[in-house]
Amino acid sequence: MSAEVKKGDTLLEVRNISLSFGGVKALQDISFDIRKGEIRAIIGPNGAGKSSMLNVINGFYHPQDGEILFEGAVRDHMKPHQVARLGIARTFQNIALFKGMTTLDNLMTGRMIRMRTNLFWQALWKGPAEREEVEHRKRVEHIIDFLKIQSIRKTPVGRLPYGLQKRVELGRALAADSKLLLLDEPMAGMNLEEKQDMCRFVLDVNDEFGTTIALIEHDMGVVMDISDRVVVLDYGRKLADGTPGEVRDNQAVIDAYLGVSHA
Amino acid sequence: MFYRESGDFKTSYIQDQQIFPIGLDRWFVAVVCVFAVLVVPFLINDYWEKSVLVPVLVWSMAAIGLNILTGYCGQVSLGTGGFMAVGAYASYKLTTMFPELNMFLVVLLSGGVTALVGIVFGLPSLRIKGFYLAVATLASQFFLVWLFNKVPWFYNYSASGQISAPERFVFGIAVSGPNAPPWATYLFCLVFVVVFAFIAKNLTRGRIGRSWMAIRDMDIAAEIIGVPPLRTKLSAFAISSFYIGISGALFFLVYLGAVEPTEAFGIDKSFLVLFMIIIGGLGSILGSFIGAAFMFLMPVLFKNIMVGGLGWPTDLVAHLIFILIGGLIMFFLIVEPHGLAQLWRVTKEKLRLWPFPH
Ligand SMILES: Nc1ncnc2c1ncn2[C@@H]1O[C@H](COP(=O)(O)OP(=O)(O)OP(=O)(O)O)[C@@H](O)[C@H]1O
Ligand SMILES: [Mg+2]
Repeated sequence: MSAEVKKGDTLLEVRNISLSFGGVKALQDISFDIRKGEIRAIIGPNGAGKSSMLNVINGFYHPQDGEILFEGAVRDHMKPHQVARLGIARTFQNIALFKGMTTLDNLMTGRMIRMRTNLFWQALWKGPAEREEVEHRKRVEHIIDFLKIQSIRKTPVGRLPYGLQKRVELGRALAADSKLLLLDEPMAGMNLEEKQDMCRFVLDVNDEFGTTIALIEHDMGVVMDISDRVVVLDYGRKLADGTPGEVRDNQAVIDAYLGVSHA
Repeated sequence: MFYRESGDFKTSYIQDQQIFPIGLDRWFVAVVCVFAVLVVPFLINDYWEKSVLVPVLVWSMAAIGLNILTGYCGQVSLGTGGFMAVGAYASYKLTTMFPELNMFLVVLLSGGVTALVGIVFGLPSLRIKGFYLAVATLASQFFLVWLFNKVPWFYNYSASGQISAPERFVFGIAVSGPNAPPWATYLFCLVFVVVFAFIAKNLTRGRIGRSWMAIRDMDIAAEIIGVPPLRTKLSAFAISSFYIGISGALFFLVYLGAVEPTEAFGIDKSFLVLFMIIIGGLGSILGSFIGAAFMFLMPVLFKNIMVGGLGWPTDLVAHLIFILIGGLIMFFLIVEPHGLAQLWRVTKEKLRLWPFPH
């Protein structure tokens, strides 16, 4: 479909996106891009429209205006499960794991889009079905090792503590081997040690797997440390866009964070 | 005492993904299967066939079917009775229209017809969930029973409005009709139940089963991972209805022999199967068997003890059984939603660690 995207080229671009819910303008004329191989942070105060932006990107919300380009091609109106097949995975602000299933099954479900044996072989659990299961199991075990969650492989995730659930959710998103990973506040509610672990994982994923990452985060220290570029939203509008240094020195951003009145 | 998995190391993913990962379990299941196929047919008599074995097999089949839809995919259905009726009437029409058609095929095709009907009645599930979906399936229950009462074509214009199973043979031996020997009807049902229980187990532990459970546990996340909601829900409706249709066909052809839809496939049957999977264990194939056996046999047992043994009045005992079942359902819904199968699993885990609990 589209030409091979090299590191540093634009992987995803949103153009003039506007989204409103009744009277609430969640996003107003937002444009920015995400380059292949980078860690892109999206920041902003509560209710700025960050999660809504991710929901637009993965097809969960449909903006009234604007367009989205992925790998250089304009994307039509798509359902979330179609976007997943394009190569976009994500985690949620409020953990959205499959609570009744084990860690292993959660990650195996993450590989759904890559499995294709038909009903007949699956019913027999032989031949192609068994081979496929083993092949994907290997990949999933690699991710389990990477995230150091071997000991909870067979535990139903509903029983795990919060920090581990966040990690399993990252694992499930990784399992899809996507081109673009969207992380909605992966470190929220974690203690310092858990945060450091999670930062490490995000950097390693970016480094080892070469995955492009867009993440929403409130902890400014983390954002400044790990991201390549930052886009700042406030009240549904884009305030600033640039390297962490540029954004930190931007007067509009400082005002927004210090709560200067918008009157 | 020697029930354990230590020393039972897995050296490949194939081994780790077995249905029964523990060696002793595999032996136990093999012995049960051999016993059921090679020994029971020689011991079986009319009483055991009609009062215990065949009905438990038929209800297990229905329970597996509903468990796929409700326990695995999370779509509550109160239409089980109606779908069993579809299976029964499909088998009746098929075997009267094509008397030479092999009986295994008749039953399988009846399951297929029911699967198609299930897809149609599953369509609303994309839009409505939970309680509202249950009400919609309730409507299908009443509609289907009404249809089979109303349209004479379904019962071949018989004066009574009933359908009755003609005598049919497999390998020269009758499996339906009044002269079918108990061992033959039993084996006929057993083949379907064993084969399709294994198929259900395979489906639920693979890709399709995981996509059902993903929809059940968190449909939004499932969709964002790439699980297409409509297709997944409809596949659960189709496969679930296939099983329920087979159970309806066997219920009519082999067990009852003659049915009248309101009586045989009423709403009480829908609830019965739902209670089976709640008590046996939602999302468990083993639980479907346990629940079916429990719900069908417990009343028989209590009646034998209380009426036969203690001489209590029949209606009192009937009410006591109702109260007991109601109490059990509340207990399981509140305390152990995974049912008897989970209690069994926990016991096994304890056994495995015994005598060193830590
Ligand atoms: N489904 C929805 N229906 C109605 N309003 C919505 C919906 N989703 C988001 N909004 C509104 O859009 C605005 C942006 O919300 P969003 O969740 O994107 O903010 P956010 O930047 O992620 O905030 P936070 O940091 O609190 O997560 C808010 O005013 C919110 O109330
Ligand atoms: Mg948010």
